Amino acid sequence: MKPKLVIALLLIVLVPLGLMAWLGLRVARSERAAVEDSFRKLHMQKLKDVEATILKVVGLREREMLALADSLALDPGALRAAARNNPAVSQIFVLSEKGRLVHPNIETRLNRDEEEFLTRAQQVWKDQAVFHRPAGETTQPSLSRQGWYSWYWGSGVNFIFWRRDASGRIVGFELDRYRLIADIIAKLPESRLTAPETPTGTLVLLDSKGETIYQWGDYLPKKQERPLVGRSLGAPLNPWKLAYFTPGCGPAGDFGSGAMFNLIAALIAVGLALSGLAIYFYRESSRELREAQKRVSFVNHVSHELKTPLTNIRMYAELLQMNGDEKDDKSTRYLDVVVSESQRLSRLIDNVLTFGRQQRGALKLRKTAGVVDEIIDGVLESFRPSLEGKGVRVRFVTGAPGRVLLDADALRQIVSNLLGNVEKYAPDTGEAEVHSSQQDGKTVITVSDRGPGVPSAERESVFKPFVRLSSRVTDGVAGTGIGLSIARELARLHGGDLTLDPPEQGTTFRVTLVTQPE
Amino acid sequence: MNAFRSMVMIGVGTLLLCVCGARADQVKLKVAVSHPILLAGQKQTAYLKVGLTGVPLVAEEKRAPVNVAIVLDRSGSMSGDKIRKAKEAAILAIRRLDYDDIVSVVAYNHSVTILVPATKVSDKHAIYAAIDRLHAGGNTALFAGVSKGTHEVRKFLSENRVNRVILLSDGLANVGPSSPQSLAALGSSLIEEGISVTTIGLGLGYNEDLMFKLAHASEGNHVFVESSAHLARIFTREFGDLLSVVANEVEVEITCAEGIRPVRVLGRAADISGQRVTSKLNQLYGKQEKYILLEVEVGKMSAETRLPVAKVAVNYQDVASRRAGRLSGSAAVSFSKSARVVKSHTNNEVMIAAVEQIAADNNVRAMVLRDQGKIGEARKVLQSNTQYLYDNADRYNSKRLRDYGGSNYGDAKNLSPGKWKKRRKEMRKMQFDYMH
Repeated sequence: MKPKLVIALLLIVLVPLGLMAWLGLRVARSERAAVEDSFRKLHMQKLKDVEATILKVVGLREREMLALADSLALDPGALRAAARNNPAVSQIFVLSEKGRLVHPNIETRLNRDEEEFLTRAQQVWKDQAVFHRPAGETTQPSLSRQGWYSWYWGSGVNFIFWRRDASGRIVGFELDRYRLIADIIAKLPESRLTAPETPTGTLVLLDSKGETIYQWGDYLPKKQERPLVGRSLGAPLNPWKLAYFTPGCGPAGDFGSGAMFNLIAALIAVGLALSGLAIYFYRESSRELREAQKRVSFVNHVSHELKTPLTNIRMYAELLQMNGDEKDDKSTRYLDVVVSESQRLSRLIDNVLTFGRQQRGALKLRKTAGVVDEIIDGVLESFRPSLEGKGVRVRFVTGAPGRVLLDADALRQIVSNLLGNVEKYAPDTGEAEVHSSQQDGKTVITVSDRGPGVPSAERESVFKPFVRLSSRVTDGVAGTGIGLSIARELARLHGGDLTLDPPEQGTTFRVTLVTQPE
Repeated sequence: MNAFRSMVMIGVGTLLLCVCGARADQVKLKVAVSHPILLAGQKQTAYLKVGLTGVPLVAEEKRAPVNVAIVLDRSGSMSGDKIRKAKEAAILAIRRLDYDDIVSVVAYNHSVTILVPATKVSDKHAIYAAIDRLHAGGNTALFAGVSKGTHEVRKFLSENRVNRVILLSDGLANVGPSSPQSLAALGSSLIEEGISVTTIGLGLGYNEDLMFKLAHASEGNHVFVESSAHLARIFTREFGDLLSVVANEVEVEITCAEGIRPVRVLGRAADISGQRVTSKLNQLYGKQEKYILLEVEVGKMSAETRLPVAKVAVNYQDVASRRAGRLSGSAAVSFSKSARVVKSHTNNEVMIAAVEQIAADNNVRAMVLRDQGKIGEARKVLQSNTQYLYDNADRYNSKRLRDYGGSNYGDAKNLSPGKWKKRRKEMRKMQFDYMH
């Protein structure tokens, strides 16, 4: 009973607490996800701003080259001088309206830069279609007038800005890749000399191979670390990426711990409240238990007190019975009633006391030598008048004459309880039978009546204390509901058992006892 | 060896030499041909040297203000003594600057920090304090450091200032573009704006090819310092050069005459378009000669003919007077049937320059062979280069050639794996000196 109570109380505390923790964690997690999401958005905006800065450099370059294209005379000398004097441009080329390379002209003597350019730009001539692609999605066959072209060569991506003039010629400018990178770096922020106590993240500009071009910020990302947010740059720098790295798990450090703290605090508070409630219930129930035990011990006490005067009443009544006037029919009859009723009361008190001992765990046997048949016979003798008064005659078939070790009082109580049941539940059935047998240190006693029997569904529950069959059988019959329980317990203490035989007719209780011969 | 040179080769017959000198304020121009008299009746090669010498400023003349960005490596390898000495050297160098000068200090590891944005050198103590805060740690984003340094220079970019980035690094670039080609490309783009980068390699850990090419392409200086103890001296010398600059944006245009084919310019970037050869020299220091050496092919001519070789025009910005300067000169050759006459008229000075350039090329070739693990072949090239230099040193009586011969001799002896790392840096440094 006690472990059950503890489990119940623990459940009362732990189930709501667990539920609350689960819900709390879910809320905290979704909150954190929301915070992270907004954090990410914030940094994505930062990346967009940086991207705008970078694309501004490209835009500036584009305007410079447009201006250059406008003012450029398309003779080799001027083109060479323009390429040489413009730090941002590494080479200039001209395609005729038919797509033929006019400058650098491979039929003339080329300088080394031009030769190198023709080698690395082979891809461009193959892709010439790019310069003839129609502008946008318009149905007009107009061609786009200017654009960017990028291709991979050497250790990275190279950029060309080209423009078509009115006559259909294309002037293209190959950007000096490294100069472009240097100019972009020049426009990007730098890092602080010493990182502050709460370092911010680091922004990294990555090339097409994922290698760092430039980075700034207080934090040095580890190799293979995944960025919090990343973004590819807009045209024409699409092969490049921006990435934002933060130390640790990012915003969780700032926001998550607050939610976690709240959750833990709430869990502790609720846990304390529930524990208090559980302790209160526990104390209440144990107080009730103590009071019930007090009541039980009161009943035991009273029973003890009743036993002594009752014994005297029985003794004197029996003496009177023995010495009584045979002729005084009336007195004899009255005395019989007194004796039988005092015997019944005595059994009742014995049962109460035995039950009390059983509940305290103090039920013990005091084995002495005795003969089973003699003991049964004594009990039958004391029951005979009242049984006969109820119209039941008991036939005793003896078969246990041996002198064995047993607790005679206990056996008397077992048999009395069984016969008491016959008296109570099988009146006016004519005949009952008690049968005893003894073999191999085992004594078997059966008590059968011809009463209504026990419904098969309740064959086990009759042995539980305070269980009385609520049927026609028990209607109008007084009883304590502890007799069979005590009888079975006593039989089990004897190493045997008390069982109910399968019903044929009436009720047959079978007592088995381990009885060693003396 | 900041030498500015140019050579034109001419071939044919008779003999005639013309050396034209011109002097306009701060710069002296000297145009000369290796063989003023050439052998008649055959095609041949000659060198044209265009030499430019800065005339030192006299005391009362005001020097050109400098606009310099000091870019310092603060990666982990610089920690300890190196960073301390670098800070001291930078402070010592800035001490020499005046109110009109512009200085900025940029430091880089995996990222870049601007310690001192480009500013007039009015409050030196604030600048020193900013430099003093520097400490080392992290990786090496060299490209970004140079990019940011040039951006600081660009804020005050002027043809009347000496625009310069001084880069100090002791390690391999490992963040951002890091190949020698990428830095060379950046350098040649910067020279078009008039910004030069001087590269100072510290210790044995840096990439000398990258540092060499960046300085070479941008017309700066390249120095190898093995120990940080010498940094102060190197910085002082570099600043001494900067403070002695007499001309900026020096542009040389050589127009070859008919019958003369320009073949190549030795040791320096130049553009050859048809008969016209152009090259840019950025800055010219006082007392220093820089030259352009042009190899030309001269067609067959008969004896006693006189043939103009080339006209030379030099434009520059005189930084002291803040005026544009222009110089011009020309050279011609004659033809003779006598080989003895041709030989006796050979111009030693031009030939020395040609030998220097050829020897420096050979030295680079040997270095490439050694890089491929061909130690034996590299040694052979260096030994024959030594012989070549000694022979010509005797022929033209040149100490410079003899010295370079000695240096090549030393190179040949230091090709073993244990010595190569350091020797390669020294070789790069010498190649740079002889090319410039």
